[in-house]
Amino acid sequence: MKKTLRTTAIAAVVALALAGCSNGSGGGTSQTTDIDPSGAIVPRPISWLLSRPADGGVITVMKQIADEYAKDHPGFALNFITTPDRPSYIQKYETLAAANKLPELFDTDATPFAQKLAKQGTMVDATKLLTSLGLYDSYRPAALNYQRFDDGSLYMIPFEFQLEFIWYNKALLQKAGVAIPKSLDDIPAMCTALRNAGITPIALDGQDQWPLERYAAYHPFRTAGPTYVQNLKKGDAKLSDPAGLAAADWLSKLGSSKCFEDGFSSTGYSDAQNLFTSGKAAMYNIGTWELSSLATDKLDPAVRSDVDYFTLPTTANSVTDANEYVSPSGIGMAVNAKTYDPLVRDFLKFALTKYPSAIAATGALSPTTNVTTTIPANATPLYQKAVDQSNDVGSKIAMPWDTQLDPTSNTRLQQELTLLVQGNTDPSEFVSTMDSTIAQNAPAAFK
Amino acid sequence: MLPNRSRLSVLIFLVPPLLLYGVAVLLPIVQSLFLSFFSWDGISDMEFVGLTNYIHMFTGDTVFWHAFSNSLGYLVICLVLQLGGALIVASLLTSLRRGRNIVKTLYLLPAVISTVAIAFLFQRIYSIDPVGLLNQILGWVGLGNLERAWLSDINSVLAAVSIPEGWRFTGLYMLIIFAALLSVPQELEEAARLDGASRWQVFTKIRFPHIRPVWITTTIMATTYALRGFDIPYLLTNGGPGQSSELLTTYMYKTAFTSTNYGYASTMSVFIVVECLVAVGLIIFTLRRKDEA
Repeated sequence: MKKTLRTTAIAAVVALALAGCSNGSGGGTSQTTDIDPSGAIVPRPISWLLSRPADGGVITVMKQIADEYAKDHPGFALNFITTPDRPSYIQKYETLAAANKLPELFDTDATPFAQKLAKQGTMVDATKLLTSLGLYDSYRPAALNYQRFDDGSLYMIPFEFQLEFIWYNKALLQKAGVAIPKSLDDIPAMCTALRNAGITPIALDGQDQWPLERYAAYHPFRTAGPTYVQNLKKGDAKLSDPAGLAAADWLSKLGSSKCFEDGFSSTGYSDAQNLFTSGKAAMYNIGTWELSSLATDKLDPAVRSDVDYFTLPTTANSVTDANEYVSPSGIGMAVNAKTYDPLVRDFLKFALTKYPSAIAATGALSPTTNVTTTIPANATPLYQKAVDQSNDVGSKIAMPWDTQLDPTSNTRLQQELTLLVQGNTDPSEFVSTMDSTIAQNAPAAFK
Repeated sequence: MLPNRSRLSVLIFLVPPLLLYGVAVLLPIVQSLFLSFFSWDGISDMEFVGLTNYIHMFTGDTVFWHAFSNSLGYLVICLVLQLGGALIVASLLTSLRRGRNIVKTLYLLPAVISTVAIAFLFQRIYSIDPVGLLNQILGWVGLGNLERAWLSDINSVLAAVSIPEGWRFTGLYMLIIFAALLSVPQELEEAARLDGASRWQVFTKIRFPHIRPVWITTTIMATTYALRGFDIPYLLTNGGPGQSSELLTTYMYKTAFTSTNYGYASTMSVFIVVECLVAVGLIIFTLRRKDEA
C-alpha cells in the first residue's frame, strides 16, 4: 500500500512538472517586432502551415516563386504543410500554438483565438510589414478589411479575393414560373413554387456547416449591418433583438418551405455542387473560387447556357447596399514574430511582389488592384462578368459568422441552425439557446 | 517459487513495459485529472478554478447530459450487435460442417477495413439524394414510406451511427466466442442430449456456463470500446444534426480542440475514465455473481 502511495505521489509530481512546462510555453506578453531586422540573409528551409487545396492556385504559384527564390539563395526552401479541411486545420494550428511550435508562416482567420495570439506578440503586424515592403497601397481595401480584427488592426496577409454569389439555373426558374428574388424575404415563396414544380430549390453542403451559417449571416447583414455580428459575438447584441428574431424567422421559413435538398445536413461539398451542375437544383450559393467549374466549358453542356448568378438580395429596410455582400479574401497568412528574421522578410518581399501578377495569370482574382485577371480560353461569358463585378464591391463586408463567434458558440450555432432549418426547433427556442450560449462563452473568449 | 536469477530476469522483462504503460496511459490520466481543476485555452496562463468545471459539467451543461445519454444508447446498440450477433453467428458456425473458414473470413472482413472507408461506405448506404442502398432496398420491398435521410433525421441518426461500429466488430467477437464454443466438451453435450435436454437447455446449462469467462472478457472489451467510440460518429455526422449523435468522446474532442477549453475537456475525460471503470466493475460483479450462484 505504501509503495502504491509513493508511486502515485511521484506520478502526480511528474504530471505537475510537465503541466508547468506546458504552461510556461503558453502565456506570453505583447512585444514589438523589428519590422526591418538588421543582419545578413542566411538561407534556411522555412515552413508554411496552411489550409488551402494542395493543387490550388495559391500553392502552385507560391511553389514556383519559392523555387525561383531558392535559385538565388541556395539552402532556402519553403515547405508547404497543408490541411485543406478547415476544422481539422484549425485543430492542428491551435494545438501547435498551444505547444509554441508554430512555423514561420501560418494561416488563420481573424478569429478570437488569433487575436489572442496577436496580443501576445506571436504575429508580425501586417500593416507595418506591408507598408515597410512598399506594398500596402496596392492591396484592395476590401481584401485587407476582411483580415482585420474588430479594433482595425491587421495581422494577416490575404492571398485571394473572392465574391460569393447565388448561382441559379434560368431554365428551372422559368419552369417553376419564378423570377430571381428582389428581397431575401422572397426566397421562401420562391422555394415553395420550385418544390411544386418538382425541383430542389437550393443545393446546400450541410455537412461542412459553414455554408448554412452563411444564410444565418445574410438577413442580419441586410437589416442591421456588419456591426450586428460584432456586437452579437461579445454579447452586446442579442438574437432576441429585432434583427436576430427576423433572421431566425427567415431561416425557419427557409426550412418549412423546403428550400434545401432532403437530407442536406449529411450532404457533402461535391454532392451539393453536383446537384446544381447536373440541373437538379435551381440555386447554389458559392464563391468565385468555383469559377473554373461553373463558368468554363467544364460545366455540363446541358446546363451551361442556363447558368447565371445574382448577388445577395437586399431586404425592404436594408441598411447595406446591393453591392455589399460576402467578399472574403480567404484565410490569411500570419508571419510568426518569433522566427521573423532578415531571410523571412526578404523572401516575403520577393514573393509578395511577384505573387499578384502570377495569381492573376491563373484566372483568379488577386487581392491587389495592380494586375488584371487573365480570362481562361475555355471560359463562358459569366467568367468575365464575375471578374468585372470585383471592381464594384461596396465598402461593407458581410463577414462569415464562423470567423467571428467564439468557437464554442460557433459550434453550438452550427448545430442549432441545422435543427432550426430541419424544423426540429422553433425560432424562439433557437434564439434563447443561442443567446444563453453566447452569454456563457463570449466573456472568456473576448476578455 | 522461482529461483533468484529467474525472478530478476522476469523483473527485467516486466519493468520496461510497465514503465511504458505508466508514461503512455497512467501519466496522461493523472495529467487530465490535474488539468480538470484549471481553465486553460492553451496559449494564456492557466487559471485554477477548483471544482468549477465539475460543477458546470454536472449541473450546468445540457449538452453533456445529452451526449451521455447518447453514449449509453450507442453502447446498447453496439453491445446487442457485437455480442448478440457474435453469439448467434458463432453458435450457428459450430453446427456448420463445411465452409466455416469462408464464413469466418467474411464476418471478420469489416474489422480490417479502415474506419474512414467504413464511414464513406455508410454515408452512401444511408444517403437519400442521391438514393443510397438502404432507401433503394426499402423502395424495392414496398416500404417506400420508411425512406428517409437516415443521417439527418434526429430520430434515426443515433442508431445509424451505432450500427456501422456494431457491424464492424461482430466478426472479431464471433471468432473469440467461436473458439470458446469449440472447447466445450462434446461428451457433456451428448450426455445431456441423451438425457433429453433440448437445444436451448444444452446452450443455457452447458455451453454458456462453459464460455462464461470468455464471455466476461468479451463483454468488457466490447463495452469499453463502445464507451470510447469516436471515429465513425465523428466522421459520419460530427455529432449532428444538433446534438443527436453527439457522444461524450466527440463532445470532449470538440471542447478540447475546437473550443480550446482544455480544462473542461479534461474534466470530461476524467468522467469517461471513471465511467469505463464503473462499467467494467459492474460487468465483473454481475457476471461473476451469477457464476457463483
